[in-house]
Amino acid sequence: MADYDDGVEGLVDYAEDGEDLTLIRWMLSLTPEERLMAVQGCVNSIEAIRKQNAGI
Amino acid sequence: MQGFDYLALLRVLAQNEVEFIVVGGVSAALQGGPANTLDLDIVYRRDAANIQRILVAFQSLAARFRMRPELSPNVSHLESTGHKLLITNLGPLDVLGSIGKQLTYEDLIEHTVEMNVDEFRVRVLQLDKLIQLKEELGREKDLAMLPTLRATLAEKRRLALK
Repeated sequence: MADYDDGVEGLVDYAEDGEDLTLIRWMLSLTPEERLMAVQGCVNSIEAIRKQNAGI
Repeated sequence: MQGFDYLALLRVLAQNEVEFIVVGGVSAALQGGPANTLDLDIVYRRDAANIQRILVAFQSLAARFRMRPELSPNVSHLESTGHKLLITNLGPLDVLGSIGKQLTYEDLIEHTVEMNVDEFRVRVLQLDKLIQLKEELGREKDLAMLPTLRATLAEKRRLALK
């Protein structure tokens, strides 16, 4: 979602196509098990909120 | 990192009465779009009172910059429209002063839908506005998501007509 941004110098790093390289580096820093847990955490959270808002 | 939990992250922000809008892939996923995303993006109101509430929330989240984990965001960072790409003890969190063509919280608020997160109400950017923003940005990353978002919106509208 984030557009290119230089508002906080040295604290952001986007590729030319818009990919957030800081997020990719963070994922790469995790173990495979931690990566799976991260993905599972996303799915669980979204599922829980969706269930509370079934009509939207 | 203690865990990875958007729900708990949103709860901490809401408990601290932070004024924010969920944008990006999570906003799409919450509205039914099969978007894959690993970070929670929020646009926040940049007034002094809200910034103070954010800083209180950040303390309990142990928020710090992903590029420089030794550095925590401060008032000056939060006063800027810049993007604060953070890691917290509940997962990655992008805290955005503006998005797209410098659109702020105030610009986006009329394009949101309120959703329940436990006992709290959280504002989420509407799917049609998200599509518009990604069309305007026009980057490879954003364009790649558009077919899925457009199909999701069309399907939601079709189902609403039934």
